[in-house]
Amino acid sequence: MSSATTTEETHAAGGHGHGSKYPFLAHHFDTPAHQFDSAKLGMWIFIATEILMFGGLFVAYGLFRGQEQEMFHQAHERLDKIMGAVNTVVLLFSSLTAALAVRQSQVGDRKGTTRWLIITLLCACIFLVVKFFEYQHKFHDGLLPGHYFTAHLAQHAHHGHVLPYRAHMFFALYFMMTGLHGVHVLIGMGVLTWALRRNLNGKISKQYFTPIEIGALYWHLVDLVWIYLFPLLYLVG
Amino acid sequence: MSTAHSDHTSDHATPPQVEGHEDGEVHAHVNSPLFMIAIFAALIVLTVITVAVSYVDLGSANTFVAILVATIKASLVATFFMHLKGDKSIHAIIFIGAFVFLGIFIGLSNDDLSTRHEVDSVNGARRLDTTGVVAPGGLQVPAGPASAPEATQHVEGVQNPHGASEHH
Amino acid sequence: MATEAEIAPSHHHDEPDPNANYLIASKGVWSWLTTLDHKRIGVMYLISVTLAFFMGGMFALLIRLELLTPGRTIMGAATYNRVFTLHGAIMVFLFIIPSIPAAMGNFILPIMLGAKDVAFPRLNLMSFYIYVIGAIFCLFSIVSGAVDTGWTFYTPYSTTSSSSVVSMTLGVFILGFSSILTGLNFIVTIHKLRAPGMHWRRLPLFVWGMYATSVIQVLATPVLAITLALLAMEKVLGLGIFDASLGGDPVLFQHFFWFYSHPAVYIMIVPGMAIVSELFATFSRRAVFGYFAIAMSSLGLALLGFLVWGHHMFTSGQSEFSTMVFSGLTMLVAIPSGVKVFNWTATLYKGSIWLTTPMLYALSFLVLFTIGGLTGLFLGTLSVDIHLHDTYFVVAHFHYVMMGGTVMGFLGGLLYWWPKITGKLYNEPAAKVSWGFIFVGFNAVFIAQFIMGSRGMPRRYYDYVPEFRPYHAFSTYGSWVLAVGFFILAGVLIQSLLKGAKSPPNPWGSAGFEWNTSSPPIYSNFAETPVITRGPYDYHEATEEELFDGFPEDFKKTES
Repeated sequence: MSSATTTEETHAAGGHGHGSKYPFLAHHFDTPAHQFDSAKLGMWIFIATEILMFGGLFVAYGLFRGQEQEMFHQAHERLDKIMGAVNTVVLLFSSLTAALAVRQSQVGDRKGTTRWLIITLLCACIFLVVKFFEYQHKFHDGLLPGHYFTAHLAQHAHHGHVLPYRAHMFFALYFMMTGLHGVHVLIGMGVLTWALRRNLNGKISKQYFTPIEIGALYWHLVDLVWIYLFPLLYLVG
Repeated sequence: MSTAHSDHTSDHATPPQVEGHEDGEVHAHVNSPLFMIAIFAALIVLTVITVAVSYVDLGSANTFVAILVATIKASLVATFFMHLKGDKSIHAIIFIGAFVFLGIFIGLSNDDLSTRHEVDSVNGARRLDTTGVVAPGGLQVPAGPASAPEATQHVEGVQNPHGASEHH
Repeated sequence: MATEAEIAPSHHHDEPDPNANYLIASKGVWSWLTTLDHKRIGVMYLISVTLAFFMGGMFALLIRLELLTPGRTIMGAATYNRVFTLHGAIMVFLFIIPSIPAAMGNFILPIMLGAKDVAFPRLNLMSFYIYVIGAIFCLFSIVSGAVDTGWTFYTPYSTTSSSSVVSMTLGVFILGFSSILTGLNFIVTIHKLRAPGMHWRRLPLFVWGMYATSVIQVLATPVLAITLALLAMEKVLGLGIFDASLGGDPVLFQHFFWFYSHPAVYIMIVPGMAIVSELFATFSRRAVFGYFAIAMSSLGLALLGFLVWGHHMFTSGQSEFSTMVFSGLTMLVAIPSGVKVFNWTATLYKGSIWLTTPMLYALSFLVLFTIGGLTGLFLGTLSVDIHLHDTYFVVAHFHYVMMGGTVMGFLGGLLYWWPKITGKLYNEPAAKVSWGFIFVGFNAVFIAQFIMGSRGMPRRYYDYVPEFRPYHAFSTYGSWVLAVGFFILAGVLIQSLLKGAKSPPNPWGSAGFEWNTSSPPIYSNFAETPVITRGPYDYHEATEEELFDGFPEDFKKTES
């Protein structure tokens, strides 16, 4: 970077003279703000990508639900609303803590950032644990996608009520949607752990909190998807 | 450091991240923790509402309410936790744009699936009169001797997705 | 995922000399494999897509050879199914989609903007390796039994076929992420890394084209990812979403697939248009006519590309109503395409046309794309499509667009920027000869297919009635002419690499900004960040010095 400082005279933004003042500044950016804005724009574009990716599943959900509303309604009653609601609260809370981690990094409070990031990661773990128990329960009841679906058989009757065979479609969508979301929870945890490591290494400052901001943005996306998954799968079916 | 308006309730009057940061430094838009906790509280209240409504049978309005509440929650998260408010407008454009394209996707797919049953009942099912073989595609023709296509009727247990299942 | 490579402080690496030629700024194979320099990544992509093109081309020759005579010529029917699938899948996913954006876009786009690099250099390198990993999965499917579904992987055949579908779909899934990350990188680069004075109205048309392409890549490719994930789950778990016997809907797969793959057609053609816009300006020696209209029509194509996917499904059991809607929307695509073609033609008018090989390719593009585009309208017309669907007419149509359009644009761009990329001039007369073979061969192959398609020869068939024999034979002979053209071209380029004369910075006398730096460019692209004071096609404002350094005397030396 230091050798790239011949350009500041010609540069409108005039930032390049900083040289060693910003050790985190990559050579092709003018200023910390320039670098920060670029990273954030990149993350937002990635979020758009993710929305379209989940969108495919929501489209499938909407179309099949439009055709077989009654079956979807019966099948959704086999999901545990309480567990879903608990997970919703956990994720919303983790979104709050992620936002607070960003805030603390913005004001230069490294310890506070660490604290909130760890709480966010813990929430993510709680979410996955609850999800694990939910899945276990579904496996036990034969509420599985496709060929593995056995809940239409008499031994899996629920309050004397047997699901129609085609309810496997609902569970195919349920497992695809929550499964893909679960993968995103794991990826989000990876990103937040990376941000946490940078914070612990002292790389984060008021001028450079990009990893925290980016990680939190991604985490909020994970939350956003769940905000839609929860009512559509657990509440209205 | 001029990282302005720290620790006050978020200062909406001054757009904090505008083009051309004069000094090239990162000027964050710092919200107060209390404000963020208030947003969180609102999100929890909305969650309680949506769960409560799900126990009341409103017919198709249930779905509408669920999606409406989810959208309000999502907007709160995007606007405040993700800082869309006070941020560069391009981020909001990208975010909303993604939903526009998602809308195109669902709209034009639904355009097909919701009108699929409007098959011309004469041309929807075809059987070769000479051989009695049913042509692939279209509605299923009931078993029996080759007869006029009008014989096409709803058949129980059909496996053809674009035929009888919508013909209740 | 994007975040991992968000910030790339280059001082972790051995700092290459910013003022040395990028090819030698740091040494050793390892410095190439771990480079963050967009130019080197572009070159690595260029080598990869060339290999893919060679492989796909070999499969094409095999297809044509098999079809030389009715019945068995050189291979059995099952092998034939695998060969045409591999031809399609390799050409689409490994060659065309990354060809212009990832290879040339990576090299040229930051230089055109006056930037030192793309916005996220590490992400850029990562997307290259994702491409390599995806390609390995695709190639693995060849040795593990290959795929026989056609490149479209239509259900229910793909979920029941015993061929290696999972490996191929996994490969394509991974390749999709490479494409997304490249698009993301370009959008941010174009938004954030423009040199001072490079405002939106001065963006070169190549950059506008890349911008539109990137938008499609970012918005459409994730849908392909989810589609292929569902397909793989369908195969592994029997998910049922696309399986009619389980209550699913196979036609839904086609909706999902074409929601990506129709916009993907514009990922393929818009970059070709972007390149020829540059070529027409440079070799007509004048400002592009209708600059803003061409720029906006790229964005228009990107948007319309999302609205017309149903025209692939007119005969697939899609509802009649939906079919009418899609047919109507399809007609709209002709508007931005027409805007481009007319503006290019108007650019030629009263220009000082210099018929170099790149210009010959640009003119070929103009003619062949017009044929390809207009036959697309025939196919978008509902009643005509019922007759022509899944015939060789469709095959000829999209080859006129993909090959007559994109590949011609790619070759034109390759020769145009060759001196910039390699620092070497190539043998212009020999390149013209290779163009002649390619142009003639291409038309021979596909005009025959237009005719037999309109007479009812179905695509993908292994066998055919003897009446089609002359057309198939003609088409096969054409493929040999085409192959000769490509081998001559390869010879020209290899000769240039080994013995080519050194290129001046601006061998074509172009007013484009990428020619303002040395050939090959230095590691940091420009010794000083350039300040842009004119548009890229403002020949009347460009100085003599900018346009004519070392030109044309150096060129004459190579020709003699």
